[in-house]
Amino acid sequence: MIARLENVVKRYDSGDETLTVLEGVDFGVERGEFVTVMGPSGCGKTTMLNILGLLDEPSEGTVRLDGDDVTGLDDRERTEARKRFVGFVFQYFYLIPSLTAQENVEAPTVFSGGSGGRAGELLEKVGLGDRKEHKPAELSGGQKQRVAIARALVNSPDVILADEPTGNLDKETGDETLQLIRDLCDEGVGVVAVTHDERIKDYSDRDVELDDGVVL
Amino acid sequence: MPSLLMARRNLVRNPLRSGLACFGIVIGVVAIASLGILGFTLQAGFTQNMGDVANQVEVVPATDTDAGFGTVTSQTLTDREVRDVRRTAVGATVTPVKQQTVDISYGDTSAGRNAYAVENPEALFEADEGRVPASLSSGVLVGSTFADQLEINVGSAVTVDNSSYRVVGVLAEEPWTAPVNPNFNIVVPETELRDAGYSRVIVEEGSASAANETAQDIRESMNRREEVVEVQENSELIEQVRSQQRLLSLFLIAVGSISLFVAGVSILNVMLMSTVERREEIGVLRAIGVQRTSVLKILLAEATLLGFVGGAVGVVVSLLVGGVINHFMLDDALMVLRPGNLRYLGMALGFAVGISLLSGAYPAWKAANERPVEALRG
Repeated sequence: MIARLENVVKRYDSGDETLTVLEGVDFGVERGEFVTVMGPSGCGKTTMLNILGLLDEPSEGTVRLDGDDVTGLDDRERTEARKRFVGFVFQYFYLIPSLTAQENVEAPTVFSGGSGGRAGELLEKVGLGDRKEHKPAELSGGQKQRVAIARALVNSPDVILADEPTGNLDKETGDETLQLIRDLCDEGVGVVAVTHDERIKDYSDRDVELDDGVVL
Repeated sequence: MPSLLMARRNLVRNPLRSGLACFGIVIGVVAIASLGILGFTLQAGFTQNMGDVANQVEVVPATDTDAGFGTVTSQTLTDREVRDVRRTAVGATVTPVKQQTVDISYGDTSAGRNAYAVENPEALFEADEGRVPASLSSGVLVGSTFADQLEINVGSAVTVDNSSYRVVGVLAEEPWTAPVNPNFNIVVPETELRDAGYSRVIVEEGSASAANETAQDIRESMNRREEVVEVQENSELIEQVRSQQRLLSLFLIAVGSISLFVAGVSILNVMLMSTVERREEIGVLRAIGVQRTSVLKILLAEATLLGFVGGAVGVVVSLLVGGVINHFMLDDALMVLRPGNLRYLGMALGFAVGISLLSGAYPAWKAANERPVEALRG
């Protein structure tokens, strides 16, 4: 298992009330495996993904990356682990508007010596070899998501976490994006996609249903 | 360096806002630097007018208060009194001055003027033309105004009370405050005034405070039993004027600092706005593995860059303003490049960068410490 949640509980305290979002989730993804996590809105899919990607901490339970317990790490160590193991793909792409496509892909490496040409190769790989110098505003939605995928890959992660990767794309570009993710998977990267887009099932190896904070 | 590049990009993204924040700093720096330069130039102008007079003490015979108002005294200092002055003012340049009214003829003109005689003319006078010798034996030195009036040049022969002398130097114009003012007069060899007494002794010290101490010493040692000499000094007055001027300079700089402080607040505002706007962007940077300290560096670099660019432009404008001030007050625009002024420019620039860094600190800290998951939730 490259990434694993063991009996993870997540509670939010809001004043007197305590909201339990995840109630003991056990979940894992292997290298080269494409898993979709499906479920209604508000069932805790995104929270689960954030905990898996070390953006959020569980209230109880253990998070493992490549077998190592990463639950108690401090902010610096978590950021470092995120950079080493995890690539994120978001529904809203979250590209930095002032940077070109190439610079956006390089962004995760800027403070550690640059990507050494890898950013350009990745853009070619996702079919944007001729858009390297374009700013996000000059790219279509599908192109933006492909830049975001290239960015997620720049540090050679072991697992890619995608939150509604097709949520803002039409059917055709959505399919292209999913095929791209499927190809990455076949090269050995683990993928977890959180979605309510049924189409993703056509590309994934395994589907997990999350409802009321538990994996069904 | 990557943080500086990112910072530059972020600032260029919103040129109007960055430009206005910079402009605030420019105004602040110009206010501090040009007010500082103004104060410094006022002091320089004052010092120029005062000459060395602050360092000088003048010892003259005590006036006989019983003689009554309007009595002209022709008292002089005795050799013994001059020796006493020398003994008290150890280490200072002591110049006893003889003075007498003489008739001077040059060509067809003749005039009654004061003649001064000193053993070391170099200590008191400076030549405009010709030179001031270490001691005068057969030549005379003519005051600038007097030389102009009679069209006397170096090499001219003048007659002083029947003796003929060659002019070896025309003196530079002395400020009105100088104790021995030769502008309308003449400096002759001591032999010419052999019979005259010493009208005064000029004691020159290295600084105004030393002059003040020496003046006190002379008063104490020579006037112990009766008032023998009168010791005149300007050091106290000048020191007072100087300290007033320093206060004025400080006040001017304080006024300037307020505008720089206001500029700092506007940077704080701009940085807060831009970090709120870029909340998601910063969250993404953190999510993709950029450390908190790197985010902090980017934002601090942005604030510092605003301060530095504004400060640099401000320094250039201040140099121009200072040049104009110096041109009108000291007749030399390039006087603005003196170290004293450059100090104000450096100070203003440092202050600008410092206050920008300080203003950027809170927004940067706030943005860097936000949990990425919160920022991405929108």
